Amino acid sequence: MIFNIFTAITKEIKMKKTKLGEFEELVLLTVVVLQNEAYGVRIKKELEERLGETLSVGSIQSALKRMEQKGFLTSEFGGATRKRGGKRKRIYTASRQAHRVLGEIKEIRARLWASMPELSTL
Amino acid sequence: MGQSNNIRPPKYILRILRLFVKRNYLEEIEGDMEEIFQDNMKAHSKAKARRLYAWETLKLLRPIIMKKIKVSSSPNHYGMFKNHFKTSLRSLRKNLLFSGINITGLSISMAVGILMILLLSELGSFDSFHDQKDNIYRLTSSKTMFGRERNLATASIFIANELDEKASGVERVAIVRGGLTADIKTKDGGLNINGFYSSSSFFDVFSFKLKEGNPRAALADPNSIVLTESTSRMIFGRENPMGKPMTMITGSGLNDTINGMVTGILRDPPLNSHMRFEVLVSLNTLDNTSISTSSERRDFRTDPQDISLNYIYLVLNETVKKEHIESVLANIMNGINSRIETPITHLLQPLDSFVTSESSLLENLPGPSFPLNRIFLMVGLTFIVLLSACFNYTNLSLARALRRSREIGIRKVIGASRFQVFGQFIVEAVLLALIALIIGLGLFFLIKPEFLDLPNPAARGHRMFSLDMDYVHLLYFIVFAVVTGCIAGFLPSFILSKLKGNIIFNNASKIKIFSGTDLRRVLMVFQFIMSIGLIMCAVLVHKQYRFAVDYDLGYNTDQIVNISIKGDYIDLLEYEYGKIPEVEGTSKSSMVLGIGGAIMGLAESEDRNSSIRFLINEIDEKYLDMHEFEVLAGSGFLDALKENENRQHIIVNEEFLKGLDLGPPQDAIGKNIWYNNDRLRILGVVKNFVNMSLTMNLEKAFAFVQPSDSKRYTTLGVKLSGNDLVASMEKLEKGYVGLDSVHPFESTFYDSKIAETYEQHKATYNIISFLAVLAVLISTLGLMGMAVFTVESRKKEVGIRKVLGAGIGNLALLLSRGYFVMIIIAGAIAIPLSLYLVNKIVMNEFLYRTKLGIPEVLSGFLVVVVMSAITIGRQIIMAAVRNPADTLRTE
Repeated sequence: MIFNIFTAITKEIKMKKTKLGEFEELVLLTVVVLQNEAYGVRIKKELEERLGETLSVGSIQSALKRMEQKGFLTSEFGGATRKRGGKRKRIYTASRQAHRVLGEIKEIRARLWASMPELSTL
Repeated sequence: MGQSNNIRPPKYILRILRLFVKRNYLEEIEGDMEEIFQDNMKAHSKAKARRLYAWETLKLLRPIIMKKIKVSSSPNHYGMFKNHFKTSLRSLRKNLLFSGINITGLSISMAVGILMILLLSELGSFDSFHDQKDNIYRLTSSKTMFGRERNLATASIFIANELDEKASGVERVAIVRGGLTADIKTKDGGLNINGFYSSSSFFDVFSFKLKEGNPRAALADPNSIVLTESTSRMIFGRENPMGKPMTMITGSGLNDTINGMVTGILRDPPLNSHMRFEVLVSLNTLDNTSISTSSERRDFRTDPQDISLNYIYLVLNETVKKEHIESVLANIMNGINSRIETPITHLLQPLDSFVTSESSLLENLPGPSFPLNRIFLMVGLTFIVLLSACFNYTNLSLARALRRSREIGIRKVIGASRFQVFGQFIVEAVLLALIALIIGLGLFFLIKPEFLDLPNPAARGHRMFSLDMDYVHLLYFIVFAVVTGCIAGFLPSFILSKLKGNIIFNNASKIKIFSGTDLRRVLMVFQFIMSIGLIMCAVLVHKQYRFAVDYDLGYNTDQIVNISIKGDYIDLLEYEYGKIPEVEGTSKSSMVLGIGGAIMGLAESEDRNSSIRFLINEIDEKYLDMHEFEVLAGSGFLDALKENENRQHIIVNEEFLKGLDLGPPQDAIGKNIWYNNDRLRILGVVKNFVNMSLTMNLEKAFAFVQPSDSKRYTTLGVKLSGNDLVASMEKLEKGYVGLDSVHPFESTFYDSKIAETYEQHKATYNIISFLAVLAVLISTLGLMGMAVFTVESRKKEVGIRKVLGAGIGNLALLLSRGYFVMIIIAGAIAIPLSLYLVNKIVMNEFLYRTKLGIPEVLSGFLVVVVMSAITIGRQIIMAAVRNPADTLRTE
């Protein structure tokens, strides 16, 4: 019971501080990009390719689940394949709220980049 | 790069995965993991794929993915508890018979348990009021005396002084010398008080509070007297006695007079003090040689062998170890022991064992004793009673298990965990135990006065215990009840919680009567064993006790009462008694035989070449006749000694002759021996008789002499005729009071005197038999409950058999057969076990053992058989007589 309280509090704190972590943002973007193919393994492979480093199933899954709890993602079961031992995949979709937040962040970043002094002197 | 479709991910890792992942996420995650696994199989080797699988599984251990830990901190705890509580109450009410049996058994156990707890708590608190209790020790002595190794709680003043000088770490020494019994004259007459002589350091060691007087000075000067409050009130009434003079008459023969002054009033020593006294007199009073004439020897301060009267208490420095002091003692005694006949060993005894030391091991205790082995015995027996009640509960609960299976089934189907079902039944058991506690408390208050009256010979008229209850004790009791409930309820709860919900509802016929029938049988056999065993022990101990009391001592003790004389009037009293018609005869002696008091003497043969120790009694010329000793040769004393006449004759027993090699009785008459520098002629020889109590080694050689002075007689034996002993005793008392107004009339019949010696055995016997009765009662109750249940559950069977033509006899046999088999098995185990235990533990104390006949051996067995027959029989008859039409109607 104490453990549950602990996780609830940390969730509250997290929500207050940042709406979206860096990794979460990446995962979210990947989900939007992959559209209908956005499921666990595919997301992982895509991100690994783009980032150039290996990721663990655990990190991807926990990001996905967290964002689903926050309301940035919805999901539903897709098809099962033999390769998956007959288990169905979950296809994730970004919610409207997610799109809005992504847009906001992009906006903030863009303006910051625009305000940057000339880089040639660096 | 081979075929990868048929190879599955590692089985055990998959199992672990399934263990911790949330159920909702499991399908997706398992699928992802498998897909990746297959990819890895293509890209890498099989082994690597498996490794990666395991690794990934490990990294999946994140809180958000893991199952919620099912802590039973479901917010509905209170609600569940209320429900369990209500259900338990209802179930108790529904089965009144079973509940009644259980409550009775448990209440009795609670009452006994409460008694034990209070007793132990009080024992533990003995002497706890002394500030320095952790560092107070007492000197003990061991010496071979009268042919036996004796351990005493006393030591010599000599060794105390040596220790004080030579041992570092001994901070304080208090010398308390016993033997102070004094006559005091008061306004209303006189009275007799007991106490100790004590050194002035008494109050430095012990924390007895002085109401009046200065603890440092109260016992400093000679002839200082400190009284306890109640004693002072008895002597001086309401006056303040401080500074007042007080005359005490002490010493054996009451020859010594102490003209003392009251220097202090002590608050009465509390009940939990190991030392009981009414007065303290300063030790240096005895240094005045004009006071100590006969009893105290002049060299009592310096004689290392004067070890029987002095209690030496030490306060050790915290850093000093007991063993260190003991080695110092051994060093000192090494030198001394080379000079004396039998060596003395001194050891230290810590304060917390003052009261629990065994009185048979340690003699001369200054107050009450409650030896550890007897405590263990009582605790053990209490435990047996408790077990009996617990077994009952387990048995009956298991028997009824089937009836509650529906309830359990429903609970499980709704979603109760096994733990919750378990908990429910434990709650029920604990509830029952708590109810039993309340009833038990009531029972306890009923038996408390009985228990407090138990005699304890070492307590000399004082009460041993107060058994007061404190709030702390209430807490102990509650904990005790809860623990008992848990123990009693554990097995049934465990078994009942195992029932699987679906089995009950789907396949009723498949429920095995695992309600532990075998377990129940074992428990019942256990109960029978305990009952049979306890009864047997009680019977055997009782027989031995009676035997010891009735043992043929070799002289006659019927109708002879011994009156203790404490003054100079024995001849006068004899004359007075001679006038009473009921008095057949009288005789004087200095010792009462058969009790164990001893005066030792050393005798040598005429040529002084051999010597023996022997026990001696000073008697008059009528003694041997009155007690009907068997005279084998020669005669008894013929006349009393005249005024200044020296003794010339001695009468001995057969052992005495053997010891000095004087030949057969006929030849020994006329021979001479030396005793106390007197040459005495052997006048007569008596047959061997029993002197010491049957529990100690018999001293074999014995002799009678005539006393040098009639003041040495301490006992007047009176043989009474006729049956009205009470009236005769009243006359004797009247005659006595006329001559002695100070001392109370103390008379004892031989029988009771001898019986008194066995008081402690009697107390043990009483306790054993009491607890035996309890255990048997509880077992019988349990048996009755089981019988009711068995017959109930078999009533259809009985009905059918009746219809088919079975007679009542057949039916009775059928139903009871199981029980009697159990009783026989129990008997086979209990009888040899009890015999062994009784022999080992109790009989060891007795030299002369009674023969054990078949009746005693079978006693326990027969009692149990009869009780069982009655309880089961009734049920069986009821069932057998019932009309089968009624029982089979619902079929």
